[in-house]
This record gives sequence, structure tokens and C-alpha cells, in this order.
Amino acid sequence: MTLDNERASGKIWSPSDTLSNRVKRLRNQFYSFHDRTETNEPYSFTTGTKWDEVYSTHDWAQEPALYPFFASINATLQAMAIPVALPDDYWDHGLAMRRAIFFHEVMTKHMPVTILDDEMVVGFNFSTALSKSLNKSETKVRNKEMSKWFEEAGRLNAVGIGTATSVPGHIIPNYAKALSVGMKGLVEEYEGILKGDISPKHREFVESLILSCKTARDFNKRYADKARELLESTTDPERKSELEEIARICDMVPWNPPETFWEALQALWTVHILVMAAESYPGAGLSHGRWDQYMYPFYKASMESGDLLPEKAKELLHCYWIKHNYVYDFQGRLGLNQGINSGFGQLMTLGGCGPNGEDMANELTWLALDVIEEMNLLEPKPNVRIHKNTPDDFLMKIAGMLSRAQGSPFLLNFDEHSIDGLVWQGVPREDAWDYGVVGCLENTMQGNDRSDTIDVNINLAKAVELALNDGKDIATGQQMGLKTGDPLSFTTYEQFRDSVKVQLAELIRLLTRCGSMADTIRAKYQPTPYLSALMDGCATRGKDINEGGTDWNFTTVEGMGIATLVDSVAAVKMMVFDQKRITMKELLAAIHDNYKNQEEIRQLLRQKAPKFGNDDDYVDEIAREFSTFWGEETFKHENPYTGKRYRAGYLSWNYYIPLAPLTAATPDGRRRGEFLSGGVGAVQGMDAKGPTASIRSVGKLGLETIPNGASHTITLSPSMVRSQENVAKLAALLRAYNEVGGTALQINIINSETLRDAQSNPDKYSNLLIRVTGYNAYFTQIGRELQEEIITRTEHNL
Amino acid sequence: MTRTGILTNIQRCSTEDGPGIRTTAFLKGCPLNCVWCHNIETIDSNPRTVWHSEKCIGDKACIEACPEGALDLTTEGMVIDLRKCLVCGTCEEECPAGAIEIIGKTWEVDALVEELIRDKVFFDTSNGGVTISGGEPLLQHEFTKELASKLRVKGVHVALDTTGYASESVWRSILEHVDLVLLDLKQMDPEKHQEFVGIPLERVLENAKILTEVGMPVWVRTPIIPDHTDTRENIRAISKFIAQYMQTVERYDLLAFNKMCIEKYSLFGLEYPLKDYDMIEKEKMEVLAQLACEEGISNVTWSGMTKRDDNESELTRTNEVKTCG
Repeated sequence: MTLDNERASGKIWSPSDTLSNRVKRLRNQFYSFHDRTETNEPYSFTTGTKWDEVYSTHDWAQEPALYPFFASINATLQAMAIPVALPDDYWDHGLAMRRAIFFHEVMTKHMPVTILDDEMVVGFNFSTALSKSLNKSETKVRNKEMSKWFEEAGRLNAVGIGTATSVPGHIIPNYAKALSVGMKGLVEEYEGILKGDISPKHREFVESLILSCKTARDFNKRYADKARELLESTTDPERKSELEEIARICDMVPWNPPETFWEALQALWTVHILVMAAESYPGAGLSHGRWDQYMYPFYKASMESGDLLPEKAKELLHCYWIKHNYVYDFQGRLGLNQGINSGFGQLMTLGGCGPNGEDMANELTWLALDVIEEMNLLEPKPNVRIHKNTPDDFLMKIAGMLSRAQGSPFLLNFDEHSIDGLVWQGVPREDAWDYGVVGCLENTMQGNDRSDTIDVNINLAKAVELALNDGKDIATGQQMGLKTGDPLSFTTYEQFRDSVKVQLAELIRLLTRCGSMADTIRAKYQPTPYLSALMDGCATRGKDINEGGTDWNFTTVEGMGIATLVDSVAAVKMMVFDQKRITMKELLAAIHDNYKNQEEIRQLLRQKAPKFGNDDDYVDEIAREFSTFWGEETFKHENPYTGKRYRAGYLSWNYYIPLAPLTAATPDGRRRGEFLSGGVGAVQGMDAKGPTASIRSVGKLGLETIPNGASHTITLSPSMVRSQENVAKLAALLRAYNEVGGTALQINIINSETLRDAQSNPDKYSNLLIRVTGYNAYFTQIGRELQEEIITRTEHNL
Repeated sequence: MTRTGILTNIQRCSTEDGPGIRTTAFLKGCPLNCVWCHNIETIDSNPRTVWHSEKCIGDKACIEACPEGALDLTTEGMVIDLRKCLVCGTCEEECPAGAIEIIGKTWEVDALVEELIRDKVFFDTSNGGVTISGGEPLLQHEFTKELASKLRVKGVHVALDTTGYASESVWRSILEHVDLVLLDLKQMDPEKHQEFVGIPLERVLENAKILTEVGMPVWVRTPIIPDHTDTRENIRAISKFIAQYMQTVERYDLLAFNKMCIEKYSLFGLEYPLKDYDMIEKEKMEVLAQLACEEGISNVTWSGMTKRDDNESELTRTNEVKTCG
């Protein structure tokens, strides 16, 4: 995920003129954030005890920029917390039941109920800060453990090793099942478990799941009542009949399984927002899975019955789409207000293969793609699965949408490579085809997998710094890594290489140990029975989702700066050991001086050593060696308390920025403060051979040991995809990516601001191809005058 | 001994040199001297040392390394004494910053084949392949022939991007080894052709006719250069010729003039002769393309930037953000 505030040109990627007036009004309602009275900003709720906690630092500690604000956010939420009246025997229950009761009381009595004018899918307020429902002694121990973990997390973060925490969201609940049997069906299943011979603790846990399912029923009854209340003041006959239908539907779902498309959309939305409310985590990474697959039967039924006209179906989808965007209201307060960014991701997986490699895209998939393009919204975020049997017309549709967009309308996940990774981590191949995508591009199974995809983030490049300084952080002199010896004593490349590996392994050990501290705290003190009710296996095992109760339990370690790491190792190998153009002593001096007055050495390392991303086997082999090394090393670790194993991923979010000043100069010629590489991409500007070479380098990484998947971004100029013929070439590029590339791709069609940046920082954009009359050229290598011309044309979409 | 050739560049992911996604090999050396040449570095058959001022850090490693004493860094920039320079490459090797470059690298044909087929998967999914371009690749015809035939053995579609200027025997022998010819027809007036391009027109036209005789698929391309090739008469004449003699033409491209090469000229201490010309009007491109259609050519396209209509209103911009990666 990136935080680039890329702006889009209105003409290229704007809402369609064909949207109905209703949808236009609803869209405007959302965008009137600063004026509208209805907001989904968080409501805080407390048990009213003086020790109560409504906030967990570990829920948010993947973002170091927030560390200084945690105390004040906590205090604010405490101060605004609304006391909730609770039954007399409340404190006699176990924690899971207390959480379930609290959730039920809040959602059925306290949370405001709002239906916006015109909307057809309802359910507005779902941002919460819920009491952790802990008693006094639990709170005391929890807070002590929390401080101990946070101290260690702070220590590792302060020197740029990375972050380690335990974050909600980033999961695909079993929405498919909830829709097919209704919450009622889940309750029936769980009541069956109660009939068995189970421990009292297990029994109470299952009862807490049942209560949570009933919360969903009772919550929607309030919306039914609200619709009936509005009916009385509504005169418009059309709206009246809509409100009657909304009331009927909300009385029925999600308790009963839906039958029509409208009912299914409403049921899904209700079940979905209650997860965000239950986890007190609105939006980030709570994902729908293969939405076009499990929603299709409802769509088909409504279409075939003739009760729903195609235009009405589309309008329903528009209404449903907009709802997802209110997660961003949460960013309006709490010190997070840097404007609305697209940092959240309620992912919707579209397309992809079936069990026998057949293509699963259906009519609803195509309809969803139209809706995405017409709506032009931040959420939900679609991920399109591509595989070797993706039909040409579908691929052309995708390529066409990419070509018209500035900024990416969706990410692409590539099935065969993604599935290989999931199989490597233990998922049987006969199940792995049905994976879904969470957060940004992270591959997980659906409905039975918590892989906590952003919990631990490692700065891979830091291992080079430690290997070149006997395990000590260069800025502070702190011994963070192991003592691998004075680099001046290294007589072979292998000695250097192995030292880097030893340091990498140590960083992984430190971060996973710290991550396990947070994971254990969450498991002990933050059960989420409502979510557990939606995850396979929790009820049977009597374990909360946060205790590792579902079938697949992982914590993902996301690797930052792989290209910076391998470019650095390759530069040392070539320049110090193979060609001996500089000595280790000179290199160390240059690095300690941050290349000040060492421009010759810096240029040599930067310009003359091979760089990842150019299909150069010298460095790509090193990349593969290190990528598989840290992937396998990560997989050796687990948290014994929850049984969650660690697995590797390449999702760099924005960490390559905050980690930059905390990472010493590196032997690839990077100075302290210059960005690390992002995702599996090359160091910015170092991939000078175009998209195909960059794709092949990524493909050589051996990504099966990175089951989470890898973020790869390719930037294209609009001129590259202007004609239909060139759009077809982009489609062919995507098909080839599926064979020789990585697991996930974002295509950015750049805008004029990016071109301006390229003009002033040519080093960062040496890979940017443009299309000129009859040939291709690199943007940074053409004359200034022509650059100006191209920028102007991009602005005008000529 | 393996045959070697001299290349100026290898361009991967090329989308403009024939069908599909292609890798284009630019061979060095060209017998033509087009006034509007975009790739002057490809004209001279021999390698040459050039200096990139923007990359130079002034450490003078190149000067110290040069065994011939051919380099001097003056207030005007690097002076390379071409009489002394043996193009041995020592300076390029020693320069840490990549500021000195030898344009023109020698490749053994087998190594080049391996390099060019790296994107084979992309060729296969896009019906692309390798384009052998230049310069004029037929100046190195033995090398081109061997390269093309070895690429085809590997299952790669080969396009030859040529000026069409070669002896009949060379021409006929190369055609057996390629799948597509991208042929430039620039100017149909023999005198103007001689003046602007530097070679006689007749040979090119004879060779063009041979393409049909041997059944070779062809894409004809005409650069639309103001005051040089952009008249209706010229395009009509080219179109008539195609219609009459070139039945295997699959497509006719009109390429609008641009000045992307100004920087390249400065690298050689030269000024682009057409630097003061403006871009072509869009209407003109459309008229010329229409004219070609009227002469009975079925697949005519035009491409490139055209002169901007400054009345185009400024578009309103939104503040929305749409990226995730």
C-alpha cells in the first residue's frame, strides 16, 4: 500500500455521467465530509469502572508515526466514553462472554441508528472504541504486559529494525457461509456443539458466539424500526415503498438467509460493519474475499425471477459501494487527520480460477468492474485475480480500465504464483485455488485464516548495516545484532554474505519475539466473539480467533527494502571482492561518513555495480538467495501461546520513508535518509531496462517462500496505452506476468505531477518509458522542451 | 570464430517497432544521411566515445586512465580528441559515474541471441518478437542474416526495420530469414530523395517491389517531416506506389515529426538541423492519412504528437486519492 497522494485528472477517472440522481446525491453526501451532520466518527463505550480501558496500543502500533499520540488518543477516547448499563452478574462471566454482552448492549441500545436520504442499503455508524471489559486485576496485568511489549517495540523501532505488533482487520470472515445459512444457521450449528460433552469454559465461549450472532439480528431490527419511523414522515410514494422494503429486509436478514440480491447486499453489509464495530477497527483490511462468487447466486436468482431490473441491480450496487467509504470518517479526529487518504482496504476479490484451473468470472464480475469504473471511489478496493485461463476479453477489459485510470482502479493478483506460496505454507493444493486477498494484496484463505498481514515489518536492509559494524547500530553504537566480527577481517565474499545472513536471522528473531508478546496480549485480553462466530473452527475448538482458534493461523512478517539489501550485497561482492576496485576499509570509511566527500566511491557503487530489477543474473541470483533465506528463516518461528507461525511477505506500505533516516548509508550508494526500496521493486530509478526486465527480476526471487505475496508496481505513461492496439499489448504483458513475474502487480498510469517530479529528479525515474512517434524513449532522456510538451499533454489528456 | 556486430542499443518492451511486445536491436552504421535523422549515433559505423556532462563528477579518472592522452576537461566541458582516441574503453571502465560512454558495443551473434530472447514469454503472449533496426542493419548484412536466422530457430518472430537501401542480392538473401519488413518510404521525388536522404531513390523502390514478389509481409512507414515529406503530392505518390506495387503491405503508418533527438545531437556537439520547425497540425496528419486511404490502402494509421491547440480548456481537478500498493 502506498500513501502517495496521487491526484487524478477529472476527465480520465471520474464518476460516470450516467449515475442516477440518487447515486450522485449519495456520492456527494460522502464527499461533503466537512459539512454533513451524519458522521461515522468513533463512539467510545465504557463499563464505567475506573480502571476501564477502551483502547489497545497494539491495535495501531504498525504505524510508528502514531507512537507519540497513543497516550492522548487513549485519554480522549476515555474522556468521551459513554457508560453502558450492564447486567448484575456481568463480572461473573468469562472475558469472551463479557465482551459479547458488552457488544450486544452497545449495538442494540446505544449506537446511533441512521438512514440517509435515498439510500437503499442501510447501516451507518460502526466506528467504535469498545471497552475491553476487563476486571481490575486483568487490567493491571494486561497493562504491565502491554508496557513491556511496547518498550521492546519502541527499542526496535527507534533504530530502524522494524515494527512488531498485533493488529485487527486483515481477514476474510466466512461471509459466504453467513449468507448461505444466515446467522440463524450459525446459531443452530453452535447449539449443536453445546449438546456435546464440552468444558464449562468452552460452553460459555460458544454461548458468547451465539449471543454475538443474535446481536446482528437485533441490531438490524433497529434499522427496520428506523425505516418504519421514517415512513411516517415520508410523502414520496416511491421512497415510501423503498422504506417498506428496507424495513422488511432488515427484519429478515442477516438472521435469516437472504434470497434476493437486495437482501443479500443488505445482509452482507450488516455482517461486515459489525466486524469492524466488534474489533473497534473500521476498515483496514477487513476484506470480502471472492465476492463475485458467493454473491452471484443471489444476483442470478433476482435476475431470473424478473423482480429486479438490470438498472435497478446496478443502482443497488452503487448504493452498496458508497457505504464502504464511510470508514474514512474515522480519520476525521484522533490526530489522524491528514485528510482522507486511501490507507484502508476493504478488499473485494474478483475473478480467478476454480478448482480445475477453469475461469470463475461471471456476469456479476463484469458488472462489478463497470460499477468500479462508474463510481470512482476509494472503497471497496478490488483485487482482480488473473490466471492462465483468464479469457482474452476479460483481460482486455482489465487492461482497458487500467489504461483509462490515473492511479490504479485495482490490484492484480496472479493465481498460479499465489497458490504456490499458499501450498508452500501448508495449505493443500485442492483448497488453495479458493484463496482471497486482504489489505492490499496479501493472500490468505477465506473464512478460516487469520494471517495478520501487517503485524510485523522488518527492515531487511538493516542487516547490511549491522554486518558492516559488528552488530552495532551505526548511529547510536547500540549492539542490536550479533557480533559477526570486524568486516576488515573478511577475506572472502562468503564471509561477508554469511554475516549478513546471521544478522538477518537475528533481526527476525528479535521482531518475531516482540510480535509474539503483542499477539499473546491480544489473545489473552481481547477476545472477539462476534468475529470468532464468523470464522471456521473457533466454536469447535473453543478458542477465540485471537487465540488461534481458526484453521490457518499465521503472523506475517513484511520485508522492507529487499532491493536495497541485495543491491548492497551485490555491490560489495563485485567492487570489494570480485573486482577489488575498492577495499573494505574504504567502503567502511565511506559508509561511516555517509559518503560525504566520497562521491567517487558512491558513484562507483551506484553506477557500476549491478542492480536488481534489470534482469541481470549476477544480482538476481543474490536476490533469490536472500529472499528465500529470510522467507525460510521466518517460517521457523512461531508464538507458542497462540500456535501462530510466522510467514514472510513483501508489502512495504510507506515504511521505506520512516526507515530511511534510521538506516545508515548502504553499499549500493544510498545515503542515510534516502528511501529504501519498496515492495519487490527495484531501488527507485535503478531499473533502467523497462517493465519486462523488472518483471523477470521479480520472477526470479523464488516467491513461493513468501506466501503472503509481493507488492510490485509498474509505472506507465498514458502514451503507452493510448491506442486500442497498445491496450492489447498491456493485456499481453499481464498474461506474461502470470508466467514469469510475481504474485501481485499494481499498474500506475502516471499523471502530470509525477512527470514533473521525474523532470526534477531524473535519477528516480530512469525506467519511465514513453511512446513517441514510431518508437519508445525514456522520459528522463529527452530534452526539457519535449518533456514540457508531454507534461502539458498529459494534463490535457491529449 | 563467431561473427560479431556493432550495436548502439537494445530496447526491451518496445511497443512501436512492429506487432506485439518486442525487443529492438539497434545496429550501428547507416548509408543514409536524412536531414531529420533521430538517431545520429547510429550513422557512423564505428564506435565513438561520448561524454555525458550531467553525470560527470569532475574526478578526472577518465583523463588519468586514458593511455592516449585523448581527454581534457576544460571550462567548456570534456574535449575528446578524436584523432587520438582509439575507443579502447579504458575511460568508460574507469569513470565511476557513468559519464563516459562508448557508443557502439561489439556483440557476438550467439550472445546477442541469448540477450534478445530474454523476453520470449512476452513475445509469445503478445505475438511480438525481435526487431532488427539501426542505423541500417543491412550495412552489417552477414551479421543481420545470422542473427535473424538464429532467432527464428528459437521460435522468435523477426522484423527487419530497414531503409531498403541494399544491393538486390543482399536484399533477397536477407528476406529468407525474416518474418516482417518495416520499410521506410520517405520521399517519392528522386531529386528531393537524393537531397534529403543522401541516396538514390530507385534502389529503394526496386527493393520494395521485390517484397511483393517474395510474398513478404510489410509495414510501410513515412516520417511526416515539415517541408521535407509532408506534402499531399508526396503521400499520394507513396500511396499510389504501394497500391500498385506492394500488395503484401499490411499497414501504412504516418509518423508525425518530433524533436526528441535534440539532446542526442548536443552529445555529439551538433545542432539538430530541424530544431526550429514546429510540430505538425493534427488536421494535416488526418488529411494525409485520409489521402492514403483514398488511394486504396486499407490499413492506414498515423501517430505521434501534433501541434497543440492552446484553446483547450483547463480541466478541473479533483482531490481524490486512488492508489494502493
